[in-house]
Amino acid sequence: MAGLELLSDQGYRLDGRKATELRKVQARTSVFAQADGSAYLEQGNTKALAVVYGPHETRGSRSKSLHDRAVINCQFSMATFSTAERKRRPHGDRKSSEMSLHLKQTFEAAVLTELYPRSQIDIYVKILQADGGNYSACVNAATLALVDAGIPMRDYVCACTAGFVEDTPLADLCHAEESGGGTSLALALLPRSGNIALLQMDARLHQDHLDALIEAAMTACKGLSKVLDDVVRQHLEEVSVLTRD
Amino acid sequence: MSPMKLCVPGERLCSTEDCIPGTGTYLRHGYIFASLAGYVLRKNEGEELPVISVVRETETQLLPDVGAIVTCKVTSINPRFAKVHILYVGSTPLKDRFRGTIRREDVRATEKDKVETHKSFRPGDIVLAKVISLGDVQSNYLLTTAENELGVVVAHSEAGAQMVPISWCEMQCPRTHAKEFRKVARVQPEYLQA
Repeated sequence: MAGLELLSDQGYRLDGRKATELRKVQARTSVFAQADGSAYLEQGNTKALAVVYGPHETRGSRSKSLHDRAVINCQFSMATFSTAERKRRPHGDRKSSEMSLHLKQTFEAAVLTELYPRSQIDIYVKILQADGGNYSACVNAATLALVDAGIPMRDYVCACTAGFVEDTPLADLCHAEESGGGTSLALALLPRSGNIALLQMDARLHQDHLDALIEAAMTACKGLSKVLDDVVRQHLEEVSVLTRD
Repeated sequence: MSPMKLCVPGERLCSTEDCIPGTGTYLRHGYIFASLAGYVLRKNEGEELPVISVVRETETQLLPDVGAIVTCKVTSINPRFAKVHILYVGSTPLKDRFRGTIRREDVRATEKDKVETHKSFRPGDIVLAKVISLGDVQSNYLLTTAENELGVVVAHSEAGAQMVPISWCEMQCPRTHAKEFRKVARVQPEYLQA
C-alpha cells in the first residue's frame, strides 16, 4: 500500500504508539441520573456512551420474554456526526443490526440472567466519535453501565481490537489501521477467567499467526480491565464518601 | 465503623468451605465470587457458616416472588378476573409497575363460585395480595386474596371519601353512610391508627 506505513522501521505506528501500546482510556459512570446505569468511555478518539435500563417487565410483545431468564435487548447506533462524512442512516442499517446482535451475544455470556426470569434488560449504546474499535468501546462502556446499574455479572467484559502487520501484532487499532485492508480481530474477554465472550475477525490471516494475534488481544483486554476496575472502584469510593455521615 | 471492603464483579471472595453465598454473589468451581460492585458483608446467621453477600448503596429492582405479599392497585375488573398493578413487594416500593391478575376463584377461600368481582373489588382500590404464580409466557403474575389478612385495604366510595371497613365483605362511606361490598382485609389491630 502506497504512502501509509502502519509500522515504521523504528517500531512506531501512525499515531506514535508502539505495537502493543493501547490508546488512552478515560471513563466515567453515572453520567445520567434518570437511567438505571450509564457510562461514558473514551478510547483514544473513539467516544462511546452507554445507558442501561432494567431489569424491568418485558415491554412490547409479551412473547419475547423467556420463562427462566431475562432477555437482553441491545441497540447500537452511531451519531450522524461521528464519522468523517455525515452518516446517512445512524441506526437500522445492516452494520448496526449486526453490532447490536454481537453486543447481545456478548452480554448474555456475562450477565447472570437466571436471576431475573420474565424480565428485560435494555442496553443502548451510541458512538459519538468513531475512530476505530467501535465495538470494543461499546462493550467497555456497556460493562461500566451494567456495573453502575447494579446488574449482577460474572465478571467485567473487556474488548479490544488487534491487527497484524509484518509478523508483528498491533493492539488497539485506530480507524486508519482498520481500514488499511489488513486483518482486524475484535475480542471480548472476561479477564479473570480468561473466557472469550466474542471473537470476530475481518480479512484473511494465515493460520500460524492466529495464536499470536489472539494472545496480543487478550493481553490488551487484561490491561483494559485494570483501567475499568480503577474507574469502578473510584466511583464506589466517591459514592460512599457522599452517603456516609 | 470499620471501613467495609469494596469489591467488583468477578472478584473472588472466599471458598464455599468458609461461607455460604448470599445475594450479589455466585458460585464457581467451589469458590464464591462477587457479581455486583459494592461492599462485602459477612453475617452470622446462627448456622454453622456465615453468609457472605455484596450490598450496594442503592437497592436494585426487586422482583415479586411466589409467596410474597404484594400491595397492588386495581386497574380494571371483569366478571372473570381483576387486573392490578403491583406497586410494593413487602414494604419495598417498585420503580416500575408490574401487572398482575386476581382470578375470580382466587378472591376468597370459601364459596369460590359465588364470587362477583364487582362486589369484591373496584378500580382504584388498594389491595393486599399474595403471589401464587409468575404466570406463563403470555400472562401476568397470578395473585390471590383468599386469606383473612388479604383483600382491600383502602377504597374510595362513589362519593369520593375513603371508606371504613365494617365486616369482611362490607365497607361504609363516612360521608353518605352508604355501604358498599368489598372483600376486606383483616388488618392486625396494631397496624390500625387509633
